[in-house]
Amino acid sequence: MVLDLKLRTQLDIPLEAGIISPDRLAGLTESEIARVPLIHGNRKKSLGDFFDISGTCDGEIRLVGDFTKVKSVGSGMTGGRIIIEGNSGMHLGCAMSGGEIAVEGDAGDWTGAEMSGGRIVIKGNAGHMVGGAYRGGHMGLQGGEIIVHGNTGNEAGNSMRNGLIVIMGNSGDFTGANMFSGTIIVFGELGIRTGASMKRGSIISMRHADLLPTFTYSCFYHPSFLRLYLRRLRDMGISIDDAQIEGGYHRWCGDSMELNRGEVLLFSGSPGS
Amino acid sequence: MVNKTNPENPIPENPIIKNATCTFCGCVCDDVDLTVDTEAKRIIKAKGACAIGKAWFLEHGVEDRPQALIDGCHASMDEAVEEASQILANAHYPLIYGLSDTTTEAQRQVVGIADIIGGTIDTTSSVCHGPSGMAFQGVGESTATLGEIKNRADLVIFWGANPAESHPRHFARYSVTPKGRDIPNRKKDRTIVMVDVRRTPSTKASDIFLQVKHGSDFEVLWTLRALVRGRKVDPAIEARCGVPLAELEDLAERMKKCRYGVMFFGMGLTMTRGRHFNTSALMSLGTDLNKHTHFVVIAMRGHGNVTGADSVLSWQTGYPFGVNFSLGYPRFNPGEFTSVDLLSRGEADAAMIVASDPASNMPKAAIERLQNIPVIALDPKTTATTKLARVSFTTAPYGISTGGTVYRMDNVPIPLRKALDSPFPSDETVIRAIRKRVTELTADREPITGDLSAKVPA
Repeated sequence: MVLDLKLRTQLDIPLEAGIISPDRLAGLTESEIARVPLIHGNRKKSLGDFFDISGTCDGEIRLVGDFTKVKSVGSGMTGGRIIIEGNSGMHLGCAMSGGEIAVEGDAGDWTGAEMSGGRIVIKGNAGHMVGGAYRGGHMGLQGGEIIVHGNTGNEAGNSMRNGLIVIMGNSGDFTGANMFSGTIIVFGELGIRTGASMKRGSIISMRHADLLPTFTYSCFYHPSFLRLYLRRLRDMGISIDDAQIEGGYHRWCGDSMELNRGEVLLFSGSPGS
Repeated sequence: MVNKTNPENPIPENPIIKNATCTFCGCVCDDVDLTVDTEAKRIIKAKGACAIGKAWFLEHGVEDRPQALIDGCHASMDEAVEEASQILANAHYPLIYGLSDTTTEAQRQVVGIADIIGGTIDTTSSVCHGPSGMAFQGVGESTATLGEIKNRADLVIFWGANPAESHPRHFARYSVTPKGRDIPNRKKDRTIVMVDVRRTPSTKASDIFLQVKHGSDFEVLWTLRALVRGRKVDPAIEARCGVPLAELEDLAERMKKCRYGVMFFGMGLTMTRGRHFNTSALMSLGTDLNKHTHFVVIAMRGHGNVTGADSVLSWQTGYPFGVNFSLGYPRFNPGEFTSVDLLSRGEADAAMIVASDPASNMPKAAIERLQNIPVIALDPKTTATTKLARVSFTTAPYGISTGGTVYRMDNVPIPLRKALDSPFPSDETVIRAIRKRVTELTADREPITGDLSAKVPA
């Protein structure tokens, strides 16, 4: 059975709602869920103070309303599914290790920050630091997938260690900065300073991009691993051109300020060119 | 010093306060001699101060202003403290902002209030050198005191800073013209380099001026890092940065070959595109150079005690700015808990502004939020912020009418000397009173612990 949580009120002050997660709400009755504590600003409140609750959670939660001011939904979740029929707030799915979150609208900053498994799909745009590390944190995304159909802000995949970030729109500045490993695929325009301080990992762009002076041209080739990634994304319903799957990519390596073992692949336009 | 009321000594002399401390900018010059006209309750002479320092001292006389206002009406101190405390205690997401122009002692009390009310505390660092604080955390900092710079540095680089206008005595006291222990021939023994997007009044003090394209500081720093490490760089970099590669190669060589180098950096670096990445790049360059020679970096901090604000917050909470206590413990997240973001998103429901004027320099959306929530303001002068505040306190200007401690831009604490009696209380006095009352008002509040697991209350 699906647990429906409908946001009743217009929020100005943020709700700290890491509690909204299948792990934490599974098996509770409606009245028990209504009494589950969360933090509104600096006061302890209950879920029932803000949400109309119906159903129980056997692994799936559906959220209805504008969740822009509801923080940390699905944080640390290990399994199950959350569907947000609206916008989501900051820290969505941060540190999650399994399960799936789908957002119909836009997502806030730090979406999927420091997550290690599972999948987040955003139909709209996402904010800054998607799959990034928190300030002072060592590693960002360590596993799992984040797929954003719109644009993202700055520092997508900051310090990521593994996993996949797909951005169908444009990405902001410093995409993949400090990354240790993992893959970022951007179908729109890359912002500036892509891959600054990256150690390893792959950043793929379907458009031309100017890179930092510490990246050097390596070769033109047809990366076989990318075909697997793109075919899988196509299987997930994402529109991918045959040319992008079969075509050639210019490989740049960097960042020479670090290990110089990262790569930026820029799509050349047509197969064999 | 002469007592004017003493009939045996009818001709009053104007007392002179020796070695007073100027708190206008981050240089915090502590060698100013102030002459006080006790009759007119003003400072009439500030010997040794620069133009902006003189203006600071001479324009802070004792004004005829109400001690406190509530909704624009005169109020007693007790009434205003009660009203301010009620606002803070009843708020669900209060913001405390400013702190850069008050004493360290007052700052410490303000952090206590933020903790008690479960609020957010942020300093003006978040709109000036906050990215430097983030870079300290991210890549670390090799630094020194200004005294060491004066005595040892033979290569002095200013990046995105204009000290001739913002810190007028910096050149003469520390960085360009003073005689140092290992720099006996003053400017002749130093090489001064300026990096900026345009010529400024500071430029004429430089031996080398690099005019970089707007928004290309990160690329220039990254190129210098590559050159210092002996990497080859494509000459096409000139098109992006506006500086020929040969000039950058020359600078990189000078950096490696100097005996003691320093990079001072200003808001031209911290508040342009790239922000904390720019400052991280500069600090990383400084670290790289320590493989060749001794090199340090120092932020050109603006306000008199903004460095103290960072120090006090770091000491008390572990973080330098943008700290939130709503879950009962300090959390740091620039972008989430920084004032401009918090206000622009319309989240803060009350604000206390200490010794700062955000209503005249924050973005429009943030000011609109301030206009729509109860604001408490503490300031010696009438400002745009005190005008929109529900409760405003007139306080004594620090370093003129109060003692205390401030931190210079190199984190050296400097004591203040009081020159002029003021009928107004210090920031610290008002804040202590508010803290005491807020503690009483929040005594019954249910404490928030970090445990938010789904334990359903019985």
